[in-house]
Amino acid sequence: MSEAPRPYTLVAELTYRCPLRCVYCSNPVDFAHLRNELSTDEWRRAFSDAAQLGVIQLHFSGGEPVLRDDLCELIQHARACDLYTNLITGGTLLDEDKLRGYRKAGLEHIQLSIQGASVDTAEKVAGVRSHEKKLEVAQLITAIGFPFTLNVVLHRLNIHEVPELIQLALKLGAQRLELANTQFYAWGAENRSALMPTREQYLRAQDVAVAALEKYRGTLEIAFVQNDYLSGEPKPCMGGWGRSYMCIDPVGAVLPCHAARVIPGLKFESVRERSLAEIWRDSPGLNTFRGDAWMLEPCRSCERKDIDFGGCRCQAFMLAGNAAAADPICRLSPHRAAVTSAIDAAASDELIYRDAHNSRRLSAV
Amino acid sequence: MDGAQSWRPRLASRARLKFDRVANQQMLLFPEATLILNETGAAIVRLCDGARSVEQITGALAQQFRGVERETLRREVDAFLESIRARGLLQ
Repeated sequence: MSEAPRPYTLVAELTYRCPLRCVYCSNPVDFAHLRNELSTDEWRRAFSDAAQLGVIQLHFSGGEPVLRDDLCELIQHARACDLYTNLITGGTLLDEDKLRGYRKAGLEHIQLSIQGASVDTAEKVAGVRSHEKKLEVAQLITAIGFPFTLNVVLHRLNIHEVPELIQLALKLGAQRLELANTQFYAWGAENRSALMPTREQYLRAQDVAVAALEKYRGTLEIAFVQNDYLSGEPKPCMGGWGRSYMCIDPVGAVLPCHAARVIPGLKFESVRERSLAEIWRDSPGLNTFRGDAWMLEPCRSCERKDIDFGGCRCQAFMLAGNAAAADPICRLSPHRAAVTSAIDAAASDELIYRDAHNSRRLSAV
Repeated sequence: MDGAQSWRPRLASRARLKFDRVANQQMLLFPEATLILNETGAAIVRLCDGARSVEQITGALAQQFRGVERETLRREVDAFLESIRARGLLQ
Protein backbone atom coordinates (compact mmCIF):
# COMPACT_ATOMS: atom_id res chain seq x y z
CA MET A 1 0.00 0.00 0.00
CA SER A 2 1.74 3.19 -1.13
CA GLU A 3 -0.42 5.71 0.66
CA ALA A 4 -2.39 4.95 3.81
CA PRO A 5 -5.92 6.33 4.19
CA ARG A 6 -6.58 9.13 6.66
CA PRO A 7 -7.64 7.97 10.13
CA TYR A 8 -10.36 10.08 11.78
CA THR A 9 -10.99 8.25 15.04
CA LEU A 10 -8.72 6.89 17.73
CA VAL A 11 -9.99 4.71 20.53
CA ALA A 12 -7.40 4.75 23.30
CA GLU A 13 -7.88 1.78 25.59
CA LEU A 14 -5.98 3.28 28.52
CA THR A 15 -6.29 0.22 30.75
CA TYR A 16 -8.09 -3.11 31.00
CA ARG A 17 -8.51 -2.69 34.77
CA CYS A 18 -12.19 -2.26 35.67
CA PRO A 19 -14.32 -2.58 38.80
CA LEU A 20 -17.27 -3.90 36.75
CA ARG A 21 -17.65 -7.48 35.50
CA CYS A 22 -20.07 -6.97 32.58
CA VAL A 23 -20.90 -10.16 30.76
CA TYR A 24 -20.88 -8.47 27.32
CA CYS A 25 -17.48 -6.76 27.74
CA SER A 26 -15.53 -6.19 24.51
CA ASN A 27 -12.10 -6.43 26.13
CA PRO A 28 -10.09 -9.47 25.09
CA VAL A 29 -10.88 -12.59 27.12
CA ASP A 30 -7.17 -12.95 27.97
CA PHE A 31 -6.87 -9.37 29.32
CA ALA A 32 -5.52 -10.58 32.69
CA HIS A 33 -2.23 -11.60 31.05
CA LEU A 34 -1.57 -8.06 29.90
CA ARG A 35 1.03 -6.14 31.92
CA ASN A 36 2.91 -2.88 31.65
CA GLU A 37 0.45 -0.22 30.43
CA LEU A 38 1.75 2.65 28.32
CA SER A 39 3.18 5.54 30.35
CA THR A 40 1.84 9.09 30.31
CA ASP A 41 4.58 10.14 27.90
CA GLU A 42 3.94 7.21 25.57
CA TRP A 43 0.26 8.08 25.36
CA ARG A 44 1.03 11.76 24.85
CA ARG A 45 3.30 10.95 21.94
CA ALA A 46 0.65 8.66 20.45
CA PHE A 47 -1.96 11.46 20.62
CA SER A 48 0.39 13.98 19.00
CA ASP A 49 1.20 11.52 16.22
CA ALA A 50 -2.48 10.64 15.76
CA ALA A 51 -3.46 14.30 15.38
CA GLN A 52 -0.62 14.73 12.87
CA LEU A 53 -2.03 11.81 10.84
CA GLY A 54 -5.44 13.48 10.72
CA VAL A 55 -7.29 11.97 13.68
CA ILE A 56 -10.06 14.25 14.91
CA GLN A 57 -11.98 12.25 17.49
CA LEU A 58 -10.34 10.70 20.54
CA HIS A 59 -12.22 8.31 22.79
CA PHE A 60 -10.65 7.50 26.16
CA SER A 61 -11.79 3.96 26.77
CA GLY A 62 -10.90 0.90 28.81
CA GLY A 63 -11.48 -1.07 31.02
CA GLU A 64 -12.25 1.89 33.20
CA PRO A 65 -10.14 4.83 31.97
CA VAL A 66 -10.84 6.79 35.17
CA LEU A 67 -8.44 4.36 36.90
CA ARG A 68 -5.57 6.12 35.17
CA ASP A 69 -4.23 8.72 37.62
CA ASP A 70 -2.85 10.71 34.71
CA LEU A 71 -6.18 11.12 32.91
CA CYS A 72 -6.23 14.92 33.43
CA GLU A 73 -2.79 15.25 31.87
CA LEU A 74 -3.84 13.08 28.95
CA ILE A 75 -6.98 15.16 28.37
CA GLN A 76 -4.95 18.38 28.49
CA HIS A 77 -2.49 17.06 25.98
CA ALA A 78 -5.21 15.78 23.64
CA ARG A 79 -6.89 19.19 23.69
CA ALA A 80 -3.56 20.88 23.01
CA CYS A 81 -3.45 18.67 19.87
CA ASP A 82 -6.96 19.96 19.01
CA LEU A 83 -8.55 16.51 19.35
CA TYR A 84 -12.24 16.21 20.26
CA THR A 85 -12.19 14.39 23.59
CA ASN A 86 -14.75 11.86 24.82
CA LEU A 87 -14.55 9.78 28.00
CA ILE A 88 -16.17 6.33 27.88
CA THR A 89 -16.76 5.31 31.47
CA GLY A 90 -18.74 2.98 33.72
CA GLY A 91 -19.00 5.89 36.13
CA THR A 92 -18.75 4.05 39.45
CA LEU A 93 -15.41 5.65 40.37
CA LEU A 94 -16.41 9.21 39.51
CA ASP A 95 -17.11 11.99 41.98
CA GLU A 96 -17.55 15.73 41.77
CA ASP A 97 -13.83 16.55 42.23
CA LYS A 98 -12.76 14.18 39.48
CA LEU A 99 -15.43 15.45 37.09
CA ARG A 100 -14.54 19.09 37.72
CA GLY A 101 -10.89 18.22 37.19
CA TYR A 102 -11.61 16.64 33.81
CA ARG A 103 -13.78 19.60 32.87
CA LYS A 104 -10.97 21.99 33.72
CA ALA A 105 -8.53 19.87 31.73
CA GLY A 106 -10.79 20.33 28.70
CA LEU A 107 -12.83 17.14 28.43
CA GLU A 108 -15.71 17.76 26.01
CA HIS A 109 -18.08 14.85 26.34
CA ILE A 110 -18.82 11.84 28.54
CA GLN A 111 -20.34 8.52 27.55
CA LEU A 112 -21.70 6.80 30.63
CA SER A 113 -22.80 3.18 30.54
CA ILE A 114 -25.60 1.65 32.52
CA GLN A 115 -26.54 -2.01 32.32
CA GLY A 116 -30.32 -1.82 32.57
CA ALA A 117 -33.25 0.29 33.74
CA SER A 118 -33.89 -1.64 36.95
CA VAL A 119 -31.36 -2.28 39.72
CA ASP A 120 -31.83 -6.04 39.57
CA THR A 121 -31.28 -6.35 35.84
CA ALA A 122 -28.40 -3.87 35.77
CA GLU A 123 -26.48 -5.52 38.57
CA LYS A 124 -27.02 -9.02 37.27
CA VAL A 125 -25.33 -7.88 34.05
CA ALA A 126 -22.55 -5.83 35.68
CA GLY A 127 -21.87 -8.48 38.31
CA VAL A 128 -21.38 -5.87 41.08
CA ARG A 129 -23.38 -3.27 43.01
CA SER A 130 -23.22 -0.23 40.79
CA HIS A 131 -26.57 1.00 39.48
CA GLU A 132 -27.51 3.58 42.14
CA LYS A 133 -24.03 5.06 42.04
CA LYS A 134 -24.22 5.38 38.26
CA LEU A 135 -27.50 7.28 38.49
CA GLU A 136 -25.97 9.68 41.03
CA VAL A 137 -22.99 10.21 38.75
CA ALA A 138 -25.28 10.89 35.79
CA GLN A 139 -26.92 13.67 37.77
CA LEU A 140 -23.51 15.12 38.67
CA ILE A 141 -22.44 15.02 35.03
CA THR A 142 -25.50 17.04 34.03
CA ALA A 143 -25.19 19.42 37.00
CA ILE A 144 -21.59 20.22 36.08
CA GLY A 145 -22.71 20.88 32.53
CA PHE A 146 -21.04 18.09 30.60
CA PRO A 147 -22.85 17.00 27.48
CA PHE A 148 -23.34 13.27 27.78
CA THR A 149 -24.39 10.11 26.04
CA LEU A 150 -26.07 7.35 27.97
CA ASN A 151 -24.96 3.99 26.65
CA VAL A 152 -26.77 0.72 27.24
CA VAL A 153 -25.66 -2.57 25.74
CA LEU A 154 -28.79 -4.58 24.94
CA HIS A 155 -29.31 -8.34 25.13
CA ARG A 156 -31.84 -10.89 26.27
CA LEU A 157 -31.59 -9.86 29.94
CA ASN A 158 -32.50 -6.19 29.43
CA ILE A 159 -33.90 -5.66 25.93
CA HIS A 160 -37.48 -5.55 27.29
CA GLU A 161 -36.49 -2.44 29.27
CA VAL A 162 -35.98 -0.21 26.23
CA PRO A 163 -39.08 1.96 26.94
CA GLU A 164 -37.86 2.57 30.51
CA LEU A 165 -34.32 3.23 29.30
CA ILE A 166 -35.58 5.97 26.98
CA GLN A 167 -37.47 7.63 29.84
CA LEU A 168 -34.40 7.34 32.04
CA ALA A 169 -32.20 9.01 29.42
CA LEU A 170 -34.67 11.91 29.21
CA LYS A 171 -34.89 12.22 32.99
CA LEU A 172 -31.12 12.19 33.42
CA GLY A 173 -30.67 14.91 30.81
CA ALA A 174 -28.63 12.91 28.30
CA GLN A 175 -28.33 14.43 24.82
CA ARG A 176 -27.84 11.07 23.24
CA LEU A 177 -28.90 7.52 24.01
CA GLU A 178 -26.98 4.67 22.52
CA LEU A 179 -28.99 1.45 22.49
CA ALA A 180 -26.22 -0.83 21.38
CA ASN A 181 -27.13 -4.43 20.84
CA THR A 182 -24.42 -6.80 22.06
CA GLN A 183 -21.74 -7.56 19.51
CA PHE A 184 -20.68 -11.16 19.87
CA TYR A 185 -16.95 -10.88 20.40
CA ALA A 186 -14.78 -11.52 23.43
CA TRP A 187 -16.95 -11.83 26.57
CA GLY A 188 -20.05 -11.26 24.47
CA ALA A 189 -19.10 -14.35 22.45
CA GLU A 190 -18.43 -16.39 25.59
CA ASN A 191 -21.93 -15.50 26.77
CA ARG A 192 -23.69 -15.55 23.41
CA SER A 193 -26.15 -18.28 24.29
CA ALA A 194 -27.34 -16.35 27.37
CA LEU A 195 -27.35 -12.92 25.70
CA MET A 196 -28.96 -13.53 22.29
CA PRO A 197 -32.48 -12.10 22.32
CA THR A 198 -35.30 -13.74 20.46
CA ARG A 199 -36.21 -12.30 17.07
CA GLU A 200 -39.52 -11.05 18.52
CA GLN A 201 -37.79 -9.27 21.42
CA TYR A 202 -35.32 -7.69 19.06
CA LEU A 203 -37.89 -6.41 16.57
CA ARG A 204 -40.10 -5.05 19.34
CA ALA A 205 -37.18 -3.12 20.85
CA GLN A 206 -36.26 -1.77 17.43
CA ASP A 207 -39.82 -0.55 16.85
CA VAL A 208 -39.85 1.25 20.19
CA ALA A 209 -36.47 2.83 19.48
CA VAL A 210 -37.45 3.99 15.99
CA ALA A 211 -40.69 5.54 17.24
CA ALA A 212 -38.81 7.34 20.03
CA LEU A 213 -36.18 8.52 17.59
CA GLU A 214 -38.89 10.40 15.67
CA LYS A 215 -40.65 11.62 18.77
CA TYR A 216 -37.59 13.10 20.48
CA ARG A 217 -35.72 14.34 17.41
CA GLY A 218 -33.81 17.50 18.32
CA THR A 219 -34.05 16.75 22.07
CA LEU A 220 -32.59 13.30 22.52
CA GLU A 221 -30.64 11.65 19.75
CA ILE A 222 -31.22 7.90 19.78
CA ALA A 223 -28.88 5.44 18.13
CA PHE A 224 -29.95 1.82 17.78
CA VAL A 225 -26.92 -0.32 17.00
CA GLN A 226 -28.05 -3.50 15.29
CA ASN A 227 -27.63 -7.11 16.26
CA ASP A 228 -26.41 -8.37 12.90
CA TYR A 229 -27.30 -11.99 13.66
CA LEU A 230 -30.94 -10.91 13.80
CA SER A 231 -30.95 -8.05 11.29
CA GLY A 232 -29.27 -10.32 8.73
CA GLU A 233 -27.25 -7.44 7.36
CA PRO A 234 -23.46 -7.64 7.37
CA LYS A 235 -22.07 -4.54 9.05
CA PRO A 236 -19.53 -2.38 7.24
CA CYS A 237 -17.26 -3.09 10.14
CA MET A 238 -15.27 -0.06 11.32
CA GLY A 239 -16.08 1.53 7.96
CA GLY A 240 -13.47 -0.77 6.45
CA TRP A 241 -10.38 -2.37 7.96
CA GLY A 242 -7.58 0.11 8.70
CA ARG A 243 -9.44 2.83 6.89
CA SER A 244 -10.67 5.62 9.16
CA TYR A 245 -10.53 4.09 12.61
CA MET A 246 -7.75 2.87 14.86
CA CYS A 247 -7.58 1.41 18.32
CA ILE A 248 -4.55 1.42 20.58
CA ASP A 249 -4.64 -1.14 23.37
CA PRO A 250 -3.22 -0.59 26.88
CA VAL A 251 0.26 -1.81 25.89
CA GLY A 252 0.36 0.19 22.67
CA ALA A 253 -0.65 -2.31 19.98
CA VAL A 254 -2.25 -0.50 17.05
CA LEU A 255 -5.36 -2.37 15.91
CA PRO A 256 -8.05 -1.82 13.26
CA CYS A 257 -10.65 -2.54 15.98
CA HIS A 258 -10.63 -3.71 19.57
CA ALA A 259 -11.46 -7.33 18.61
CA ALA A 260 -8.86 -7.90 15.90
CA ARG A 261 -6.37 -9.77 18.07
CA VAL A 262 -8.76 -12.74 17.92
CA ILE A 263 -7.59 -13.45 14.35
CA PRO A 264 -4.49 -15.64 14.55
CA GLY A 265 -1.39 -14.93 12.50
CA LEU A 266 -1.85 -11.18 12.16
CA LYS A 267 1.08 -9.06 13.28
CA PHE A 268 0.19 -5.86 15.08
CA GLU A 269 2.91 -3.49 16.21
CA SER A 270 3.17 -1.32 19.30
CA VAL A 271 3.79 2.41 19.47
CA ARG A 272 6.66 1.39 21.76
CA GLU A 273 8.47 -0.14 18.77
CA ARG A 274 7.76 2.28 15.92
CA SER A 275 6.06 5.61 15.33
CA LEU A 276 2.31 5.60 14.89
CA ALA A 277 2.65 7.01 11.37
CA GLU A 278 4.91 4.15 10.28
CA ILE A 279 2.67 1.55 11.90
CA TRP A 280 -0.47 3.01 10.33
CA ARG A 281 1.14 2.89 6.90
CA ASP A 282 3.20 -0.31 7.03
CA SER A 283 1.91 -2.64 9.73
CA PRO A 284 1.25 -6.07 8.17
CA GLY A 285 -1.81 -6.54 10.41
CA LEU A 286 -3.38 -3.30 9.21
CA ASN A 287 -2.58 -3.93 5.56
CA THR A 288 -3.89 -7.51 5.41
CA PHE A 289 -7.53 -6.52 4.84
CA ARG A 290 -7.16 -3.02 3.43
CA GLY A 291 -8.75 -2.47 0.04
CA ASP A 292 -10.42 -5.51 -1.58
CA ALA A 293 -7.58 -7.61 -3.04
CA TRP A 294 -7.97 -10.10 -0.17
CA MET A 295 -11.62 -10.81 -0.93
CA LEU A 296 -12.88 -14.24 -1.92
CA GLU A 297 -16.16 -15.12 -3.60
CA PRO A 298 -18.98 -14.29 -3.11
CA CYS A 299 -17.55 -10.91 -1.95
CA ARG A 300 -15.09 -10.37 -4.77
CA SER A 301 -17.74 -9.97 -7.46
CA CYS A 302 -20.45 -8.56 -5.19
CA GLU A 303 -21.93 -5.17 -5.99
CA ARG A 304 -22.08 -4.39 -2.27
CA LYS A 305 -18.38 -4.94 -1.63
CA ASP A 306 -17.66 -1.20 -1.35
CA ILE A 307 -20.67 -0.76 0.94
CA ASP A 308 -20.22 -3.46 3.58
CA PHE A 309 -16.61 -4.52 2.82
CA GLY A 310 -17.68 -8.15 3.15
CA GLY A 311 -18.80 -7.58 6.75
CA CYS A 312 -16.63 -8.20 9.77
CA ARG A 313 -13.28 -10.01 9.46
CA CYS A 314 -13.29 -11.14 13.09
CA GLN A 315 -16.76 -12.60 12.71
CA ALA A 316 -15.73 -14.37 9.49
CA PHE A 317 -12.87 -15.97 11.40
CA MET A 318 -15.02 -16.86 14.42
CA LEU A 319 -17.96 -18.32 12.47
CA ALA A 320 -16.42 -19.52 9.19
CA GLY A 321 -12.89 -20.26 10.34
CA ASN A 322 -11.40 -17.95 7.71
CA ALA A 323 -10.96 -14.22 8.23
CA ALA A 324 -10.99 -13.58 4.45
CA ALA A 325 -14.33 -15.32 3.93
CA ALA A 326 -17.64 -13.50 3.60
CA ASP A 327 -19.08 -12.64 7.00
CA PRO A 328 -21.53 -15.52 7.66
CA ILE A 329 -24.14 -12.91 8.55
CA CYS A 330 -24.54 -12.47 4.79
CA ARG A 331 -27.23 -14.64 3.18
CA LEU A 332 -24.74 -15.39 0.38
CA SER A 333 -22.26 -16.97 2.78
CA PRO A 334 -22.01 -20.77 2.64
CA HIS A 335 -21.55 -20.64 6.43
CA ARG A 336 -24.86 -18.93 7.13
CA ALA A 337 -25.97 -21.97 9.19
CA ALA A 338 -23.48 -20.98 11.92
CA VAL A 339 -25.56 -17.84 12.47
CA THR A 340 -29.02 -19.40 12.37
CA SER A 341 -28.03 -22.24 14.70
CA ALA A 342 -26.57 -19.72 17.17
CA ILE A 343 -29.91 -17.89 17.21
CA ASP A 344 -31.90 -21.10 17.61
CA ALA A 345 -29.61 -22.58 20.26
CA ALA A 346 -29.62 -19.50 22.49
CA ALA A 347 -31.11 -20.93 25.66
CA SER A 348 -28.45 -20.79 28.35
CA ASP A 349 -28.95 -19.07 31.71
CA GLU A 350 -25.35 -19.36 32.72
CA LEU A 351 -23.29 -16.17 32.75
CA ILE A 352 -19.52 -15.90 32.66
CA TYR A 353 -18.47 -12.67 34.32
CA ARG A 354 -15.62 -10.60 32.98
CA ASP A 355 -13.00 -10.63 35.70
CA ALA A 356 -9.35 -11.56 36.14
CA HIS A 357 -10.18 -14.97 37.58
CA ASN A 358 -12.32 -16.00 34.60
CA SER A 359 -9.84 -14.41 32.21
CA ARG A 360 -7.04 -16.64 33.48
CA ARG A 361 -9.30 -19.68 33.53
CA LEU A 362 -10.48 -19.20 29.93
CA SER A 363 -7.10 -18.32 28.49
CA ALA A 364 -4.75 -20.61 30.40
CA VAL A 365 -1.75 -21.48 28.28
CA MET B 1 -44.96 31.00 14.16
CA ASP B 2 -44.07 33.21 17.09
CA GLY B 3 -41.65 30.59 18.42
CA ALA B 4 -39.75 30.37 15.14
CA GLN B 5 -39.35 34.15 14.90
CA SER B 6 -37.96 34.54 18.37
CA TRP B 7 -35.62 31.55 18.07
CA ARG B 8 -32.02 32.49 18.75
CA PRO B 9 -30.07 29.37 17.89
CA ARG B 10 -26.99 28.53 19.88
CA LEU B 11 -24.56 25.76 19.04
CA ALA B 12 -25.02 22.82 21.45
CA SER B 13 -22.31 22.58 24.08
CA ARG B 14 -21.21 19.18 22.79
CA ALA B 15 -20.41 20.54 19.34
CA ARG B 16 -17.32 22.47 18.30
CA LEU B 17 -16.15 24.11 15.10
CA LYS B 18 -12.67 23.16 14.00
CA PHE B 19 -10.50 24.22 11.11
CA ASP B 20 -8.86 21.07 9.83
CA ARG B 21 -5.35 21.73 8.59
CA VAL B 22 -5.00 18.31 6.95
CA ALA B 23 -7.81 18.84 4.43
CA ASN B 24 -8.04 22.65 4.71
CA GLN B 25 -11.69 22.74 5.61
CA GLN B 26 -14.06 23.63 8.40
CA MET B 27 -15.54 20.80 10.40
CA LEU B 28 -18.26 20.58 13.02
CA LEU B 29 -17.22 18.07 15.68
CA PHE B 30 -19.52 16.27 18.07
CA PRO B 31 -19.54 12.84 19.70
CA GLU B 32 -19.40 9.98 17.21
CA ALA B 33 -19.41 12.09 14.07
CA THR B 34 -17.92 14.95 12.13
CA LEU B 35 -19.66 17.16 9.59
CA ILE B 36 -17.59 18.75 6.87
CA LEU B 37 -18.85 22.29 6.32
CA ASN B 38 -18.65 24.55 3.33
CA GLU B 39 -17.87 28.25 3.75
CA THR B 40 -21.51 29.21 4.23
CA GLY B 41 -22.15 26.47 6.77
CA ALA B 42 -19.14 27.47 8.84
CA ALA B 43 -20.19 31.13 8.71
CA ILE B 44 -23.71 30.23 9.91
CA VAL B 45 -22.36 28.11 12.77
CA ARG B 46 -20.18 31.02 13.93
CA LEU B 47 -23.30 33.21 14.05
CA CYS B 48 -25.29 30.75 16.18
CA ASP B 49 -24.36 32.47 19.43
CA GLY B 50 -27.73 32.43 21.18
CA ALA B 51 -28.06 36.22 20.73
CA ARG B 52 -28.97 36.52 17.06
CA SER B 53 -32.33 35.57 15.59
CA VAL B 54 -32.46 33.65 12.31
CA GLU B 55 -33.24 36.92 10.51
CA GLN B 56 -30.20 38.58 12.09
CA ILE B 57 -28.03 35.62 11.18
CA THR B 58 -29.17 36.01 7.57
CA GLY B 59 -28.45 39.75 7.75
CA ALA B 60 -24.93 39.19 9.04
CA LEU B 61 -24.37 36.56 6.39
CA ALA B 62 -25.50 38.98 3.67
CA GLN B 63 -22.63 41.26 4.70
CA GLN B 64 -20.16 38.44 4.07
CA PHE B 65 -21.66 37.05 0.89
CA ARG B 66 -22.49 40.13 -1.14
CA GLY B 67 -24.11 39.49 -4.45
CA VAL B 68 -26.20 36.57 -3.16
CA GLU B 69 -29.91 37.33 -2.99
CA ARG B 70 -31.24 37.76 0.50
CA GLU B 71 -34.07 35.28 -0.08
CA THR B 72 -31.66 32.65 -1.38
CA LEU B 73 -29.50 33.16 1.69
CA ARG B 74 -32.48 32.86 4.02
CA ARG B 75 -33.49 29.58 2.40
CA GLU B 76 -29.95 28.27 2.84
CA VAL B 77 -29.86 29.38 6.46
CA ASP B 78 -33.22 27.73 7.21
CA ALA B 79 -32.26 24.46 5.55
CA PHE B 80 -28.86 24.35 7.21
CA LEU B 81 -30.19 25.17 10.68
CA GLU B 82 -32.91 22.55 10.35
CA SER B 83 -30.39 19.89 9.31
CA ILE B 84 -28.16 20.44 12.33
CA ARG B 85 -31.08 21.05 14.70
CA ALA B 86 -32.45 17.61 13.79
CA ARG B 87 -29.14 16.14 14.93
CA GLY B 88 -29.48 17.87 18.27
CA LEU B 89 -26.65 20.30 17.56
CA LEU B 90 -28.59 23.50 18.32
CA GLN B 91 -30.27 24.64 21.46
